[in-house]
Amino acid sequence: MRKFITKIALYTFFILLIGNGIAFLSLYVLGKSQLYKNQFVKNGVKEKRFDYVVLGSSTGLTTLDTKLIDKTLNTSGLNISMDDTSLSSHYLMLQYFLSLGKTTDQLILCVTPGDLQNPVNELNNNDYRFLTEVQDTLVYNYYDKMEQNGLKVLTYSKFMPILGVSYYNNELFYSSIYAFLKPTKRNRFDEKGNYTYPQIANHIEKGIDTNIETSYLNPSFLKIKKLCKQKGIDLIVYQSPIHRKNVIFPNTKDFKIINHSTILPEELFYDNIHVNSKGRTFCTLAFCKEIKNP
Amino acid sequence: MLFNSIEFLLFLPTVFFLYWFVFKNQLRAQNVLLLVASYIFYGWWDWRFLSLIIASTFLDYFIAIQLGKTDVSKKRKFLLGISLVGNLGMLGFFKYYNFFVTSWIEAWSSVGITMEASTLNIILPVGISFYTFQTLSYTIDVYRKEMQPTKSFIDFAAFVTFFPQLVAGPIERASHLLPQFYKNRTFDYQNAVDGVKLIIWGMFKKVVVADNCAFFVNKIFENPEAYSSGELFVGMVFFAFQIYGDFSGYSDMAIGISKLFGFDLMVNFKFPYFSRDIAEFWRRWHISLSTWFRDYIYIPLGGSKGSQWFQIRNVMIIFLVSGFWHGANWTYVAWGLFHALLFLPLLLFNLNRSHLITKSYGWLDFAKIGVTFLVVCIGWVFFRADSISDAFQYLAHMFELKSLGLSLFYKTNANLMIFGLSVLAVGILSLQELFWVIKKRDLPKISAFGALLLVLLIFFMGSFKNQMDFIYFQF
Repeated sequence: MRKFITKIALYTFFILLIGNGIAFLSLYVLGKSQLYKNQFVKNGVKEKRFDYVVLGSSTGLTTLDTKLIDKTLNTSGLNISMDDTSLSSHYLMLQYFLSLGKTTDQLILCVTPGDLQNPVNELNNNDYRFLTEVQDTLVYNYYDKMEQNGLKVLTYSKFMPILGVSYYNNELFYSSIYAFLKPTKRNRFDEKGNYTYPQIANHIEKGIDTNIETSYLNPSFLKIKKLCKQKGIDLIVYQSPIHRKNVIFPNTKDFKIINHSTILPEELFYDNIHVNSKGRTFCTLAFCKEIKNP
Repeated sequence: MLFNSIEFLLFLPTVFFLYWFVFKNQLRAQNVLLLVASYIFYGWWDWRFLSLIIASTFLDYFIAIQLGKTDVSKKRKFLLGISLVGNLGMLGFFKYYNFFVTSWIEAWSSVGITMEASTLNIILPVGISFYTFQTLSYTIDVYRKEMQPTKSFIDFAAFVTFFPQLVAGPIERASHLLPQFYKNRTFDYQNAVDGVKLIIWGMFKKVVVADNCAFFVNKIFENPEAYSSGELFVGMVFFAFQIYGDFSGYSDMAIGISKLFGFDLMVNFKFPYFSRDIAEFWRRWHISLSTWFRDYIYIPLGGSKGSQWFQIRNVMIIFLVSGFWHGANWTYVAWGLFHALLFLPLLLFNLNRSHLITKSYGWLDFAKIGVTFLVVCIGWVFFRADSISDAFQYLAHMFELKSLGLSLFYKTNANLMIFGLSVLAVGILSLQELFWVIKKRDLPKISAFGALLLVLLIFFMGSFKNQMDFIYFQF
């Protein structure tokens, strides 16, 4: 029995040593790359000061084209949106962006009505992308707060990287091999952080015109607002088009709202909540117009 | 509680520690511990399920005691009848009630008679088919006077609920497993090491092979019309490996965990995809179930004795019952029938035992293995499809050979990644098993280095995020 226990302990130690070594290397390589948005912001963006940044989920990533905005308004902007995320991740991304010593005059926060009024924040599908920064207290605390149930694989990755890397092996381990081979490769977004859906409109589900009322109940939204105030950043809340939906925001003087929920013709949608490439140009120019002539 | 869950990762070492350190050399205390642990393990799904298994345990314990007390044939038959009605009644009610009601209504509606009946919102207790057959084997063996009834309720209850194999087998015979609860168990280093290696191998089959393949299988079987013939073919082959990895992986883990506690369970799979005909496949696939049917149904029916019509009848019964055992759906019956039709020619031409002796494998054998595998894969389409018509549509679309494109597997980076992992996993499994088959082994034999490598492969190739339940739990 003694021999068995000793051997099991020894082999477990050995496996954890090798496994954590591989996982650590994997996160290290990924952390030096530009594959995901947070690594891109850290390693791929040299500029420190921006006139504005666009922050949001997939709608933020694909609706406003920062290249076109910069060309039209003669500004310097960056898109730091990450798909499949929500306001809690946006708050983390904003904090992370600022922690890198970067600044912005304006924050264009792309919201969705459901997320904005959601009082409960949970871990988002793509939050694992921050795992390369798990040693950073900011990220560690975020994971610790968001991972409520079961084994906190992301949180405990600070001490045992194999937990997160094996759980998200497709997304992190194999991506790190790819990043090792192509360290400057970005995950589908351009050098300004934008992504666009193709010029097709075949994913739209028919519906009827509806009003959606939203409210500012999301605690992360309130934190973003507070952080912007602290850092002297102008907050602009942007609502991208939603097919046949009119989003109604409560009146506020705390920040500017640009509501494009109803401006887009049907043929410029990619699906019900995303615009196609022509739709992106349409929305971006409309956005610039509102910024120029408020 | 799943073997591949965090709870079990804490549960197993705790029970192991108590078993070998706290209750060492205390047979009765060890058996009580195993019983309590098994109830916790089973009750983890839903504590209400415990009432059924406890009822089944009491029923067969007392019936067997009564059988041991009497030699009166009528009384013995009556007692056996109570056990059969009680056990099969519970199984029938929880597993088949809704199926029979809806099938009855559909049958009448097909001839224009509309009937109304309500189905019940019944939850199928996990593993009910497995433990029902296990307890029945005990009562039948006592009835046949092939074994003595046990006087110890604890030993019997621990045998019925033995957690490593409780919910998905192997379905143990009382004559094999129950006596192991009577004997003092001493820790055997080599046995425990072999057990750990089997657990690792089983985990690899489940988490790496089955769960990765499941990603595409679920997509393809959900909407087969949307995919090309090539994709449907891959989906079919992936399901063959999913169900094999899932089920045999569980069996390997069950055998391995049992070894840690000093128990020996029967081998349930002997590399079935290296069978040279269907008869050999059934000697290698889910052995504990096929031998159960052989011993308790096929042979009592007359087996392969008697006229050809009798033989055909017996084979048809055994395969149809086997199919129906798997689930309350006609697809399983169709799957059983499909195998019966493949088996019958072998039986009629006396070829069903041509591959009993494992000799060296020649090229012809490998060709036979390939053909048998493809035929088995076609059978799996019936097993996996939601309905028989869905299965036929799947096969028709696959054999149309309109398009052999495989774009599904490289449509997105994630798909390409998972496809690559699935192919790699299936490749590792197949090559490793081929090696064992050539070496004429019945059980996996893994070196220490191999086990280490497998653990790393589980970590870095396992599908943890898209973890699936064990398929056979639903049976």
